[in-house]
Amino acid sequence: MNDEPMTHETAHGFAAAYVLGALEPAEEAAVREHLRTCPEPHDEFAELGGVVPYLAELPGLELVEPPASLRDRIMAAAAADLAERRATTPTAPAAPASPAAPMPAAAPPAGVPGSTVPFPSAPERAERAARTGRGAGTLGWVARIAAVVAIVVLGGWNLVLQGQLSDARAYDRAVAAVIDAAGEPGNQTVVLTPTKDGRGAGIAAVAADGSVVMALRDLPATTGTQVYEAWVIAAGSPAPVPVGGFTVGPTGTAAFTTQPVATPPGSTIALSLEPSAGSTTPRGAIVATGVSTAPKS
Amino acid sequence: MNNEFGPRGRVASAADDADRAVLVLVAAGQLDALQELYDKYRVMAYSIALRITADASLAEDVVQDAFLGAWRNASRYVEGKGSVKTWLLSIVHHRAVDAVRRRRPTVELPAREDVPPAAMTLPDIWPEVAGNLDRAEIAAALTSLSDVQREALELAYFGGLTQQEIAIQTGTPLGTVKSRVRLGLLAMRRALIGDVGGGGNGGSGEGADGARSSDPGGGALA
Repeated sequence: MNDEPMTHETAHGFAAAYVLGALEPAEEAAVREHLRTCPEPHDEFAELGGVVPYLAELPGLELVEPPASLRDRIMAAAAADLAERRATTPTAPAAPASPAAPMPAAAPPAGVPGSTVPFPSAPERAERAARTGRGAGTLGWVARIAAVVAIVVLGGWNLVLQGQLSDARAYDRAVAAVIDAAGEPGNQTVVLTPTKDGRGAGIAAVAADGSVVMALRDLPATTGTQVYEAWVIAAGSPAPVPVGGFTVGPTGTAAFTTQPVATPPGSTIALSLEPSAGSTTPRGAIVATGVSTAPKS
Repeated sequence: MNNEFGPRGRVASAADDADRAVLVLVAAGQLDALQELYDKYRVMAYSIALRITADASLAEDVVQDAFLGAWRNASRYVEGKGSVKTWLLSIVHHRAVDAVRRRRPTVELPAREDVPPAAMTLPDIWPEVAGNLDRAEIAAALTSLSDVQREALELAYFGGLTQQEIAIQTGTPLGTVKSRVRLGLLAMRRALIGDVGGGGNGGSGEGADGARSSDPGGGALA
């Protein structure tokens, strides 16, 4: 077993076999570790890896219909898995995945911490989904989520390609929480983009109670007493309302759920970098904003 | 340096978008959506698994395992690279190769202590080099492989063999196998992209062996 870290050049030479899965396990582990830790670009992995799926089309692959019983087995196993998930996850997934430390909000309503996830539990969601079915209204938000996802896909490549896999996973989980929330009929979606002089982007979903579930990336890390504060500027109201703050580490990603306030469609969601917690009006620069949009139905 | 996906990079097709919308529902725990995905890709998935394992019941286990993996991990992939089809079939491929390797006599296998349990790993997915290719175009690209390159790639992809195992099985020096694998993938990439003159990122046009390793960083002024 060789514990020496793999050099960039060596990893480059292993790229073809790595993307094919044709390395010995120890070599594969060393390359994986290199990709995880090396900040250099690894274009050759993406270039060669993108070819591999086409190998399935090599001549001679006989197309065979699987037995019908396989579908039943898979669906039964998935249903059992779903039942198990409902039984073991009474709370929403955002909280444990959060790389951001929730901060006391500027003016927290009694008993409602900023990180409380106010969405229905999985059984409630499933029950509601079963009640509402998948009618025309459902398709509207599916299309909308697909559009949001496409935006995130385009933005997410660099993050992943730079080998920052663990950061990307934390962000993945945050995105998953947003998608979960956005999937609720009637909930709004928000795409947060950086302001002219700001940095930071992400997606968010506004729940029926007005709380906003956010997945954010590319945020400069906070230092000292700095916090990022989220603000809601309700449509038709000029005053930004503080809805909770959080700190960001070196990963630049954050998962955060705001306190619920009235957030009708067309409201602006903004993120500012404050010198310290407790701002009642923005004191620091606004770094990213987005407008909430109701799904078409 | 984003031009590796340049103008000829992945082009999201309507089919990709539709798949991705279904995957969002899978991520939200909708069984109907899983069934839709299964029905769309079951033949391709099963065929790949059967080809690799050469065992109908093992192939069924692989496909079940792969779709359950997709069911559990869809939320981690919805913002992923590449198409949903590629992601799914890569999981199938990965699981099938794992199953075949586990079945082989252990003397052929180095210790796997560094590797997380199979159930925990998902294959790396890279953005496809081109979008919307039809089968004929892909078949044409595959004909750009020499016989020995194709053999090496087939033994790796469908045989689940490592480079070292390919070298032993074909009685070829390991270095030769390595360059066949690398040059084979580069030849396919060139043919799939339809890029003869080479774009800005070089590296794919040379006919030499795999010794080029000094492109990033250092030699910028050379």
